[in-house]
Amino acid sequence: MRLAWDPTDEAFREELRAFIDAHCPPQARVGKDFLGGDDEIIPDWAREWQATLFDHGWMIPGYPPELGGRNATPVQTLIYLEELARQGIPRSVHFGGYAIVGPSLLEFGNDEQKAMAPAAIRGDTVWCVGMSEPDAGSDLANLQTRAVLDGDSFIVNGQKVWTSYATVAQKCFCYVRTNPNVPKHKGISVLIIDLDTPGVDVRPLRQISGGSEFAEVFFTDVVVPASNLVGELDNGWRITMGSLAHERGGLWVEGVFGCQRAVEGLVALAERRGLAGDPAVRRRLAAAYERVATLKALGYKGFAGFAQGSSAPEHSYMKLATAELRRELFELGMDLQGPFGAVVEPAFTEERARWQQGFFVGLAANIGGGTSEIQRNTVATRVLGLPKG
Amino acid sequence: MDFTLTDEQELLRATARSLLGNECPSTLVRAHWEDPSVVEPLWETHLREWVALGDGPLVDHCLFLEEAGHVLLPGPYFATSALFLPLLRALGHPSADVVAAGGLSGTVALAGLDGLWTTEPSPDPVRRFVPEADRVDQVALVLPGPAVAVLPASSLTARPMETLDSTRRLFEVEVPADVDPQPISPEALAAVLDRATVALAAEMVGTTRWLVSTSVQYSKERVQFDRPIGSFQGLQFKMVDMSLDHERAAAAVYYAAMTFDAGDPDRQRAAHVAKAAAGTAAKRAAKDAVQIHGGIGYTWESDVHLFLRRAYASEYLLGPSDWHHDRLADLLLGGSSLR
Repeated sequence: MRLAWDPTDEAFREELRAFIDAHCPPQARVGKDFLGGDDEIIPDWAREWQATLFDHGWMIPGYPPELGGRNATPVQTLIYLEELARQGIPRSVHFGGYAIVGPSLLEFGNDEQKAMAPAAIRGDTVWCVGMSEPDAGSDLANLQTRAVLDGDSFIVNGQKVWTSYATVAQKCFCYVRTNPNVPKHKGISVLIIDLDTPGVDVRPLRQISGGSEFAEVFFTDVVVPASNLVGELDNGWRITMGSLAHERGGLWVEGVFGCQRAVEGLVALAERRGLAGDPAVRRRLAAAYERVATLKALGYKGFAGFAQGSSAPEHSYMKLATAELRRELFELGMDLQGPFGAVVEPAFTEERARWQQGFFVGLAANIGGGTSEIQRNTVATRVLGLPKG
Repeated sequence: MDFTLTDEQELLRATARSLLGNECPSTLVRAHWEDPSVVEPLWETHLREWVALGDGPLVDHCLFLEEAGHVLLPGPYFATSALFLPLLRALGHPSADVVAAGGLSGTVALAGLDGLWTTEPSPDPVRRFVPEADRVDQVALVLPGPAVAVLPASSLTARPMETLDSTRRLFEVEVPADVDPQPISPEALAAVLDRATVALAAEMVGTTRWLVSTSVQYSKERVQFDRPIGSFQGLQFKMVDMSLDHERAAAAVYYAAMTFDAGDPDRQRAAHVAKAAAGTAAKRAAKDAVQIHGGIGYTWESDVHLFLRRAYASEYLLGPSDWHHDRLADLLLGGSSLR
């Protein structure tokens, strides 16, 4: 065990910092905990920043240059994720394209589809991912959107919901049921659907936070070329796991460093509001710091296992623990504002209702990508080896 | 940063696990309740040679102490290796080499009437919460100044404190009038206390590991309503949370140990984090282990209560979690303390 990184890895960090100093736009540097405050869902500066990262090999460091990377090692990838998260700088405000669609096209797509990956990663094409449905949230395999092969086209009917970025996306990476006569997860396929195809209806969905990043997407007799099938027919379940393999060991980084920035913000908030001498506040802040520090250590421990090729149990805990911690930290921020915790008017609130907005995002973090209850079920059976309920 | 163990560290852990697993069964721990001398053969034949770990990298010592906590090792090992030896070393005391070689056992008497281990020792006429004061060769009395007097245990009057946990015996020791202590810098004393705090947290992680893994195992075997109780979501969620707390505490302990070994400026914070996290994890695991074991968990013959007792006793030794949170707040919030 040792605390330090290798000098070559520290040099990598320095190179990254110099790049950020030279190129990162000020709007990306405000360390915001949420991105819903802008009028646009994907502002221009965010599109330009993503393209700049790609062109300089800093979008997906573990990928080769033609895919926006520089063939970085796993440790360097961790340092990259850590450095961006520490400064609160987003890579992209629409993660689906670079994190899910790009890697899935590269792994499962035909040559024509593989060629779509760079634009997905650079952000030139905005993708939404059509997974969730009204009756297929946590129970993803229960999805009902049907696609029937008719000659050289699929005819798609059904509905998706909670679909991020659908209102601004050009394409949907869409999970559909192509075979209703086999066990649920064996009859699923993935289709690329252009959102301007006749019969596609995208309706914005207003969220708790007030924003409309989500949408409902309705498909009525939508004709999709059969060549838009990704991978094999009925074998789409395999693709649900699609994500950046070399970033998997560092998926916790953004969550934990986001919590770390929140604790720094809470300390500053307590001092500004004259609460820094209140014993109860001091204990709550210390407990919050302790929880972040322990999670960071657990993340590093899990990463050490990942870098050595083992699937460490730590990963199963990290999403669960960071999502719950995030919700509590931002709630503490609301508490520390006293009566003004109930207010979102900029004149009265801390940093344009940072804590209120962040609390709402924290609620979502415990639902999206697998609820905290599903995460606990997974840990219970897969990590602790308890019998299925 | 690398959290993986070196080959030597893997070997150390495996050796400790095997030695303590074989030589310190719960029958010995229970026998110690009635007669503390039952652990002497173990100390004489095996443990003296491990005292030197208290002198070396803290990560290595934590690996051993985690296994010691997993079997509730009683006797003078913790006091000698985690308290006495580091204090003698910080003093530059000539006996330190003898202690490291296993030639002398010892303990530290620091907390006054309030029971707190701080770098500003009280002028109280007694020292409380002194581990194993009647079964060690020497006692290091920490006095105002701060200053330290190393005395033969036989020259002191020690009264056993009746405690929750019999696996670590605690004493009240009278401070003699005519001692001639040697000064120690507050910084050096603080480093000794911080190191001991991490060491105790490592032990607690081992104790917690037993509580979690035993609960998981029991819940797979115990059948109620025709199903193993471990299939009930209410119990599964409890065990996931126990296990998560344990994993976090373990990671925090080894992170803290690494900061000591690297001389990192974060080490004081890391020590407070480790002890608070270990205390939170141990308390939750202990309570929930009793709950998961049901009526059997509330019997004297089940080992669960032995681990429950050690978990709580360790939480309150060297500062409870709340106390460590208060110290952490002092470091986070600068000079605005109301202490």
